[in-house]
Amino acid sequence: MKLFAFVSFLAIPLAFAAKDGKDKLISLAASGNGVIRLDASTFDLLTAPNRDWSVAIQFTALDPRRRCTPCKEFDPSWNAVAKAWTTVSAEQRDNHFFATLDFDEAPTVFQKLNLASAPLVWVYPPTEGPRASTRNLPSKYDFSTGYEAGPLSIHLSNHTPVPIPYKAPIDWARWLTVVAGLLSFALTLRFIAPVLQSRWLWGAVTIITSLTMNGGFMFTRIRGSPYTGHDGAWISPGTQTQFGQEVQVVAAVYGTLAFSFVMLTMIVPYQSSPARQRVQVYLWSGVIMLVYSVLVTLFRVKNRGYPFKLLL
Amino acid sequence: MAIHTQVWRAVYGKSADAIEKSVENVDESIRAIICIPRLFPFTFGHVDGLPLSNNVSPTTVANTASLLRIVAFGLISAAAIASRLFAVINFESIIHEFDPWFNYRATRVLAAKGFYEFWNWFDPTAWYPLGRVVGGTVYPGLMATSGVIYNFLHYFNLPVDIRNICVLLAPGFSALTAWATYMFTTEMKDSSAGLLAAAFIGIVPGYISRSVAGSYDNEAIAIFLLMITFYLWIAALKQGSALYGTLAAVFYFYMVAAWGGYAFITNMIPVHALVLLLMGRFSGRLYVAYCSWYAIGTLSSMQVPFVGFQPVRTSEHMGALGVFGLLQIVAFASLVRSHLSSKQFQDLLTVSVISMGLLGAGAFIVMTYKGWIAPWTGRFYSLWDTGYAKKYIPIIASVSEHQPTAWPSFFMDLQFLIFLFPAGVVLCFRDLRDEHVFVIIYAVVASYFAGVMVRLMLTLTPVVCVSAAVALSTLLDIYVDVAEPAVPENENSSANGTGAATADAKKAKKNAAVGSQAGPNAAAAASSTLSDIVNAAKSSSKSSPSKQKGIWGADARLVIILNAIGMLVYFVFHCTWVTANAYSSPSVVLASSNPDGSQHLIDDYREAYYWLRMNTPQDAVVMSWWDYGYQIAGMADRGTLVDNNTWNNTHIATVGKAMSSPEEIAYPILRQHDVDYVLVIFGGLLGYSGDDINKFLWMVRIAQGVWPDEIQEPNYFTPTGEYRVDERASDAMKNSLMYKMSYYRFAELYGNGNAIDRVRNQNIPKIGPTLDYVEEAFTSENWIVRIFKVRKEDPLGRDLKSANAFAQGKKRKRSKPVSRRRAVV
Amino acid sequence: MRATRSLSGTTVSSIFTLLLVLCITLAFGSSATAKSASSTGDSVLVILDSAKKVDYSIFLQGLEAKGYTVTVRSPRDESPLLIEDGLPNFSHVVFLASDTKNFAKDISPQTLVELLTLGTNLVLTLGLKQNLLTSLAPEFSLLLPPPATPLVSFFPERSDSPSVIPIAFDTKSVPNDTFSVLSQVENKIWFSGTPFALSANPLLFPILHAPAESFAADLSDSPGLVADALADAAEKGGEGFWAGSTLSVVAGFQTLIGGGTGHGNDAGPGEDKQSRVVWVGGPSLFSDEFATKKVVEKVETERGKSVVEKPSGNEQAAMDIAGWAFQEHGVLRIDEVKHHKVNQTDAPETYTTNDEIVYTVKISSFNPTTGKWERYSDLKDLQLEFTMLDPHVRTALPAVRGQKGVYSTTFRAPDRHGVFKFVINYKRKGFSHLLHTLIVPVVPPRHDGYPRFLSAAWPYYIGAISTSVGFLLFSAIYLAGEVKEEKKSKKE
Repeated sequence: MKLFAFVSFLAIPLAFAAKDGKDKLISLAASGNGVIRLDASTFDLLTAPNRDWSVAIQFTALDPRRRCTPCKEFDPSWNAVAKAWTTVSAEQRDNHFFATLDFDEAPTVFQKLNLASAPLVWVYPPTEGPRASTRNLPSKYDFSTGYEAGPLSIHLSNHTPVPIPYKAPIDWARWLTVVAGLLSFALTLRFIAPVLQSRWLWGAVTIITSLTMNGGFMFTRIRGSPYTGHDGAWISPGTQTQFGQEVQVVAAVYGTLAFSFVMLTMIVPYQSSPARQRVQVYLWSGVIMLVYSVLVTLFRVKNRGYPFKLLL
Repeated sequence: MAIHTQVWRAVYGKSADAIEKSVENVDESIRAIICIPRLFPFTFGHVDGLPLSNNVSPTTVANTASLLRIVAFGLISAAAIASRLFAVINFESIIHEFDPWFNYRATRVLAAKGFYEFWNWFDPTAWYPLGRVVGGTVYPGLMATSGVIYNFLHYFNLPVDIRNICVLLAPGFSALTAWATYMFTTEMKDSSAGLLAAAFIGIVPGYISRSVAGSYDNEAIAIFLLMITFYLWIAALKQGSALYGTLAAVFYFYMVAAWGGYAFITNMIPVHALVLLLMGRFSGRLYVAYCSWYAIGTLSSMQVPFVGFQPVRTSEHMGALGVFGLLQIVAFASLVRSHLSSKQFQDLLTVSVISMGLLGAGAFIVMTYKGWIAPWTGRFYSLWDTGYAKKYIPIIASVSEHQPTAWPSFFMDLQFLIFLFPAGVVLCFRDLRDEHVFVIIYAVVASYFAGVMVRLMLTLTPVVCVSAAVALSTLLDIYVDVAEPAVPENENSSANGTGAATADAKKAKKNAAVGSQAGPNAAAAASSTLSDIVNAAKSSSKSSPSKQKGIWGADARLVIILNAIGMLVYFVFHCTWVTANAYSSPSVVLASSNPDGSQHLIDDYREAYYWLRMNTPQDAVVMSWWDYGYQIAGMADRGTLVDNNTWNNTHIATVGKAMSSPEEIAYPILRQHDVDYVLVIFGGLLGYSGDDINKFLWMVRIAQGVWPDEIQEPNYFTPTGEYRVDERASDAMKNSLMYKMSYYRFAELYGNGNAIDRVRNQNIPKIGPTLDYVEEAFTSENWIVRIFKVRKEDPLGRDLKSANAFAQGKKRKRSKPVSRRRAVV
Repeated sequence: MRATRSLSGTTVSSIFTLLLVLCITLAFGSSATAKSASSTGDSVLVILDSAKKVDYSIFLQGLEAKGYTVTVRSPRDESPLLIEDGLPNFSHVVFLASDTKNFAKDISPQTLVELLTLGTNLVLTLGLKQNLLTSLAPEFSLLLPPPATPLVSFFPERSDSPSVIPIAFDTKSVPNDTFSVLSQVENKIWFSGTPFALSANPLLFPILHAPAESFAADLSDSPGLVADALADAAEKGGEGFWAGSTLSVVAGFQTLIGGGTGHGNDAGPGEDKQSRVVWVGGPSLFSDEFATKKVVEKVETERGKSVVEKPSGNEQAAMDIAGWAFQEHGVLRIDEVKHHKVNQTDAPETYTTNDEIVYTVKISSFNPTTGKWERYSDLKDLQLEFTMLDPHVRTALPAVRGQKGVYSTTFRAPDRHGVFKFVINYKRKGFSHLLHTLIVPVVPPRHDGYPRFLSAAWPYYIGAISTSVGFLLFSAIYLAGEVKEEKKSKKE
């Protein structure tokens, strides 16, 4: 290791350095299960100015002190793709390397490339040989498609000599649960049939669904908005944003109001005694007025310009 | 079938045949009431609410009621139309935002040249140089409608301008929508609920948002078609009439010709039929209604050029086909069953039916999976897999109205209907007739879709209005009824209650569960009034209430009624405010307010488009981001590279690449596409946030999708991952054509003061970008629209950068030649 | 010229015979002077010290004889301006004041380039000293040797100084597709000045090469010592050794026609004026001295060598060079373009995919002797492109036998709709460029343009017919069986 660092530092004829440098890299890759753990010196060796191999480097910070959750999220899929690459035939495999550079192992490299964020994936094209590319600049992988391994391997396959034979592992647990669920359903069908056939069960399901949806659940799901704000605020001002907690609150408010109306419609008229009925009428009307004004107040928080208000 | 009978028992506590009969009877009664009004809705109709004094003949009452109904409906229509005219009053009679401009242009062609010319219309100015076969790539329903109206009026020598027809089409149809909703809700409950629903849909902002005067878009007529089709479907289903089925099919065809959202109907009706089937409610009526609708509807929908053979190819339509097949099987099975009586044979039959259904479904899935039938279209797919669009089709994800909906929008658009809506659904569950099942399914599906896409709020609005109207009118029916029940004796009531409690304890628990999830105090209330719920459930489970219902005392009534009226009044105020402030601006003209509060109109768009129209050659081609394609075509009458009908991803990506590349890379692209002018929208001076720099990342993403190793999104961020336009902006950003055109000579505007971009709130560097390959041609008053002319090649064959350097370098010309000599020998 | 036109215009409208007569005489005069050999105009400005005017009398008189109106302006004079109100005052400018250091402020490289864009033709003669032309030359991708290094050659042996060289023009040096400017010149041409190398610019082409044994060197400080001269030349800052026939002494340059988008002014032949520039190594090529200077040649005869004196070809060469520069020779233009479907005559608004299209173009060239445009059929390699983004069709456009100057071809429109362009883009060195773009949409067939009856669709026809027949039968039977049904239901 030291020796090669030395070699690549004094740039004595680089072709030569590259030659046995490459053997070194191959052994490293083999030992590292397809991934080369880089430090400053091996990084220079790997990205030597004249190289007939291409290399994909993952810049990351896995040390818990860095608290880089995306890094942890991404690392396994990176290793999975690299592992898949090891299954390629040797002469192809040795023309492309996967490497991981951890911030704590080579901060100098981060400074040299003035990288301020992690994780990053850079792909260096080869500068010599048949696949030599004219532009020596590394191309960056953007994480807009998430941290999954699938899109990553598809993207990297554009730069590798042969496409990466990555296949997403079959999630046996999931399949098992699905099958088990189906089986149990089929078996217990006879017993739970009455439940399934009760309209009020379906009613409950329907109401809950529509309440959740109207509470903006899909928004939080698609936008992945947090449950609460940083400062613990549970409601975010602005009509185009919302926190996860708002869904629950708003759904509860809607539910209460709807429930009061249902009560007024379906229960109160069937009362046996005028007194109880009267009490209930006033109770539910009060609930409606109160909760409705709460709702309007919430809306005024979201939409400053809203002119109307009720009791509150 | 055994299961079905069980279902029947569970739901109705009677045997299946008996139920079917009773349902039939209900149907009979309803048909007796409704069949005539359906032909002419307002002549007759049964009266509800106030009890009649005896000396008035029922016909008089009926006529008075229908007269009142007609008056009420006229007022509703007036309100619906009037509340949509804010846009015309505040601004002027102008076509709004983007797509309507294309529809308007197409309508002019249709009105001028006739339908066949429109059908064969090839528009060479759009998507230059590919051109667009408009006739085959457009839903012609909207244009055809206004064309018919236009010719109709002109036939009677009413020379109405086609523009005014287009502007006022949406409000006109909103009245029809109110009518269709009335009919639909009448099927659900009665005509009083229908009137309420009509009033709601007439002024609810969720529908106004897409149908104000001037927003001349497909949705303007689509919602009416949606409701009328659903109504006809329900009518056909109720009386098993092939006539209504056919009518439904006809309007379905109209819908297909009018709006891409017809897929919603295509899937709603089959799902309804399927659920009815699973509930064991298969009947001849269902069979007749569905088959007549499906056969005629599908065949006629295939006549629309844009749809063509999709109804038998794409998966969106496969559900309808599958249910059609399933119905045939079930019908055959029931036929056989009615003729045979062997129990084993019936079981065998049931098994075979189910297995055949499963086989069909399996085959369908396999075919989709293998791609033998076309896969789901992207827009449809993005509804289910919500992450799909952003990953694979950035164009769809980039459209603003495809964003998910936050809860304030729900409240903004539906106000108190949004929480009356679940109550209405519960009432639908109480007496679960076939049409109620439809509303329930509609409610669930539409709420999901509305949550996923803002624009689909439009499909949610009708069902919300309907079920809210059902809830409210049920409430009012009860509390307006002046008849007081006699005070019962306590013991038998309590006995009744306890007996019921023991009988249906399970249901009661379930209801308590419903209550508890609905909210804490609700839970308390539920537990307190357990026996009442029991009674309710019991009474609801019987066709006639177990004991008389009613309200004692005027004050209770008064509270409820005042409460309701208060809500309605508030609703009206809310709708008016929202309509006037949020939904009535034609994004072509922007309104701001001066310090003194008076309104100040920002008319840069039309200023710029008019400049193009007056100062550029007739056949000039303007490159802009696709948002403005339709407007340029409509207002400036110039050719465009891409427009809002985003059918060619590569072409859009090409524009994105040109915008996000350095000049010298962009120039060959511009020349290859014969671009004469480039148009950018820049809000930095005015603080207009909807400008191209804010949309820039989408251009980059879309271009990256096609040229991943030439355009890369990370390069446009600072190393720290910020999106900046000041001197810390990344090089790719600073060199991009879009950035250069946006900030060209921007700093000069501020003299020595530092130039601030009011949208990004960042300081623009003193030394602004320089342009070599394009030259500034026009900048509108508030700099919102900037137009640049693409320069020709240099007559001496130099690249334009060095040509410019030479033209400006009068001082330093002496030093030049020496440097060039090394090239020799 | 303009004045007379406007006058003649007034004459037409006026009824006063007196005026009429006067103007007729004027018109005659003007037409007499307007009869120049150029296709673009006949006003020539010669930038030259009025003192030196006598040295170039032959050249100037030659021009006047050809019908040009020659104006001489000293480099420092403020008038007449080259460009006035954005319009050029002269249609040709000859720049002979190459030894002058500084000029009037309107004579600058930028103005000269602007003149070109305005359609003025230039003849530029380089000097040994640096001046504005040495800074302008690189813009035309000319590569000049270091200042004050003239072209010298010691062959053939002669009495003159080595920097005054007789150059023979051989026609073989001109490629076939290039217009040979000096083809009329058979005698040797005296030249003295700086050579230049041409870098690869398709618009630039050599007219007269330097002799193979010549080289550029500064002999002033080391009189006669060739070796030193060579050494110096070789040592000049690693700038290489300027020698051989790769250098040229006269080069022609044609400006490019921009645009070609087919929109607005770029439609058809386009609005850009095309102008020509000739770079000459030294002004003396046009001088009377060289025009009259005899060329002394030693001719090998059987009785030993004999000295023969021949006249120089300078006068002819000067006239030919100016003639080419002033767009007398090798000037082509597109008169008319027609396109239509086969078996039709007039051009349709749009074509349908797979139409057979006939495209015809009429090309003529300018004849300096008659001063008229004449149809020209000698283009062998004319091509037509039918492009949308890329050429979908690229076909030869041969001359039609029998019709002079008519080129025509027939091709099938691609099976793809879109906005296509007919493009003729003919650029040959020495000939004026031919650029013509014409936009025409190609649309898919109309709704009724497809075949009505498909034999492949028989299954569907049979299906439809059988279904309807079946329906008829069914309803007939059903109606017939009505009564029995009634009975049955009654029984139940």
